[in-house]
Amino acid sequence: MTTSVAQTSESKPGNGPSTSDMQYYYQYLYPFKPIFTWLNHSPKPGRDMINRELAMAFRSGAYKRYNSFDSVQEFKNQIQRANPDRFEIGAIYNKPPRNMDSILKAEMKPLEKEVVFDIDMDDYDSYRTCCSGASVCSKCWKFISLAMKVINVALVEDFGYEDFIWVFSGRRGAHCWVSDKRSRLLSDIQRRSVLDYMNVVRERNLDKRLNLKRPYHPHLTRSLDILKPYFVEIILREQDPWRDDDMAFGSLLTGLHDKNLIEVLKRYWKSNPRRSSEQKWSDIDALAASQLKHPSSSKKTDFFNKLHECKEDLVLATLYPKLDVEVTKQTIHLLKAPFCIHPATGNVCVPINETFIPSNAPKLIELQREMEANGNKVENTSLQPFLDQFQQFVNQVTRKELASAKREREDDVDSQF
Amino acid sequence: MFRQSKRRVANRRNFGDQVSRTPGKFILNGITSEEEKQLYQSLYESKLSFYEVPPKGEITLEQFELWAIDRLKVLLEIESCVQRNKTAKEIEIIVKPLLQKLLPFTTEDLQDRKKDYYSHFILRLCFCRSKELREKFIRSETMLLKLRFNMMTSRDQAKFVQTLNLPFLQFISDEEKEQLSTQLYQTISSSLQFQLNLTDETARRQYFEQEKFIKLPFESVIELVGARQVFIKKGYAYLPQFQQLNHIANEFANMLSLALTKTYQTIPRLNEDDRLLPILHHLSTGYTITNFQQHDQFGQASQGEINAKSVYSSAIQENFPLCAKNLMSGLKENHHLRYQGRQQLSFFLKGIGMDVDEALQFWSDAFTSGGQMTQEKFNKEYRYNFRHNYGLEGNRINYKPWDCRTILSRPRPSRGEYHGCPYRDWNVDKLTLELSQGMSLNPSQVTSVLDSVQRTEYTIACTKVFEMTHGGSANTEINDQSHIAHPNLYYERSRQLQKKAGAAIK
Repeated sequence: MTTSVAQTSESKPGNGPSTSDMQYYYQYLYPFKPIFTWLNHSPKPGRDMINRELAMAFRSGAYKRYNSFDSVQEFKNQIQRANPDRFEIGAIYNKPPRNMDSILKAEMKPLEKEVVFDIDMDDYDSYRTCCSGASVCSKCWKFISLAMKVINVALVEDFGYEDFIWVFSGRRGAHCWVSDKRSRLLSDIQRRSVLDYMNVVRERNLDKRLNLKRPYHPHLTRSLDILKPYFVEIILREQDPWRDDDMAFGSLLTGLHDKNLIEVLKRYWKSNPRRSSEQKWSDIDALAASQLKHPSSSKKTDFFNKLHECKEDLVLATLYPKLDVEVTKQTIHLLKAPFCIHPATGNVCVPINETFIPSNAPKLIELQREMEANGNKVENTSLQPFLDQFQQFVNQVTRKELASAKREREDDVDSQF
Repeated sequence: MFRQSKRRVANRRNFGDQVSRTPGKFILNGITSEEEKQLYQSLYESKLSFYEVPPKGEITLEQFELWAIDRLKVLLEIESCVQRNKTAKEIEIIVKPLLQKLLPFTTEDLQDRKKDYYSHFILRLCFCRSKELREKFIRSETMLLKLRFNMMTSRDQAKFVQTLNLPFLQFISDEEKEQLSTQLYQTISSSLQFQLNLTDETARRQYFEQEKFIKLPFESVIELVGARQVFIKKGYAYLPQFQQLNHIANEFANMLSLALTKTYQTIPRLNEDDRLLPILHHLSTGYTITNFQQHDQFGQASQGEINAKSVYSSAIQENFPLCAKNLMSGLKENHHLRYQGRQQLSFFLKGIGMDVDEALQFWSDAFTSGGQMTQEKFNKEYRYNFRHNYGLEGNRINYKPWDCRTILSRPRPSRGEYHGCPYRDWNVDKLTLELSQGMSLNPSQVTSVLDSVQRTEYTIACTKVFEMTHGGSANTEINDQSHIAHPNLYYERSRQLQKKAGAAIK
């Protein structure tokens, strides 16, 4: 798998936890039971877990696919024995994936999986000036928090999903797992379309204008309303990406619609270099009003309406959630399980909400220290609040599943009489 | 279904039906029989059929083949239009004359209806054999349904919808519409403008006031969701009546998909091998003829001439389409390609005849020559990837080179990536420079290519470039002049011309 290749090439040995640290974590801390119940949608082992693919990634770069486990005990034992760096969750198949070798490949069919979204800070690098590459701080994490906010509203309001949870990816991103029955049943084509609906900023090339259709789809109107208040603070002030004049020419000016205006601004910024993003943002309107001639007042109104639309598009281009599309598209795609340890940072991939910042994430090394200090009581460690949060989510999922199963049974009975 | 009808034929034969009528007469009788007329009258009550019940009558072998071929011609044209990124309107203009000639449907003529009905089911038999064929068939049949639906009068359309008996067709109340009116209007106003040509705001408003909305699970109109052309709320899509065709087409595609899988499962039990199967086989291979099939045509000829070294020679490289050139230069520049680029180039090279040993040599040279990557790192992280592409690891699938549709449907390249289609992904300046200087096209040629690009007809742009750089369409008589929708087709055609030119000199 290519994912494993990409990961291992980045992780430097020595920084992350050792194999014995991982052994310890799986033995004492990893919440196998809630994870099992969550993926199984019921405490009693059923198809959703027995036929579920889990894949393990090892330090060596090896990647073992098509594992499946029949019970919590087996799940824990196998993971402990194999002691992978991390493991990933895949689809529910029509047969247990571990029998893969003994059945024809064509007979293995993916049936269901949670819908997942993956946001990675990398995709924001063009507008991110506080950090670069793998590092992340509370300033740039705001991109992710905002993305969560926008996606949350869309999932609830538009798609009617209720049971989803965000998980810190361990370094500079977040994963969203949607567990609603209806979402799990989506086919690949449907997943792709849901993704297309969500994924507004498709082009990561900066030199192409977004040029979104007007009037905006209600989802875009609403997202813009959410993002607008943060634009000045996050983009214009904190990140200030357009203070760099080349960036301004390459990604701010390319977002405008009028050649003359672009020329005027280019000249102005060349003779006044290093103006801040905030100044440049207001220069656009100011110069459009003072330097350009408009043949008539209605043409002028048109021009400024169009300019306003360009600016709205720019707000979306900078702040709208940038999704890693591959993860969402396929039912069979694998994604790192919650509560894994990030191999390079040692962070626990904990469930999060919009107020989370990466420095809040417990580190394995600290957890080990806490365990030593308090006599191996997990409930006294800084992991416990996250375990509680997750357990609450799992309870919600299983309750719903139970209710819907009951409804179905009653419907069956009704139809029999 | 065929087994059944055959058995019935056998029954009749055994029990002496032929005593009363000769076989030829029997068929003639079949055509005019009142019963059959009525059957098709009810099937085509609304001029369009959902093809839910298989036909059970009898037709001649000749009809079997001819009808299927006629329908196939229509479907092929549709498929080609889809491949060329034509819009629904353009497809209608192109396909309409053909449709009227081969598969007229607005008439009351029994023969036409029978032909339409049978040909659909015969082609089901042909194209149920593989996932690829099934998908293609569903795509073009669904398109055909949409085209025909749009060609009907609105009265016939309504009639058709009524006969369908689809689930979830409930209209929302006036109160609900009132409540959501802002969002609903916002969503459909551009569709009103472009689909129904209502350029005037008040006309759109008026239309909106009159329009009824259907509420249904968003999954049923998933394409509209993906294109953000429908308003969704709490898991329900609010579909204006004028867009219901999407929903109908979707249901049709689902129905057809299920039916095809069923047909596929029963085909081995088709107790018949000398009359129908050869025809079916012949038809289904004809369908992929637009596809590029390098293994049959060129594989052997070019064996061995492409190796890790020769691939860099200008004699080879000048035959590369722009996408492959772009990948090669990206590889040369960075001594690396990201995943999508690796895949695209690796499959392309495989397609032009580079075998796995040469490929591994080629990639490891390319990656390690920059001094940034050791052979060991290459072996550890990339060797598997390339062996996998040749079907030597994991799933052991012998992957085919990507065609243009695959390339265009993949994620677009971001910075530092070189895959995709340059005609789509490069900005105008870069493309113009390449066309005018790299390929020495004259300004009017460049404009013509850029025109196609503007209309998002990337494969046509590429075909134009091919013709311009290979002495115009007059010179391409080796193959037909069909448009190029596969990078490897571009290469092979170019290479053949080159060889021919070389031979002529000698």
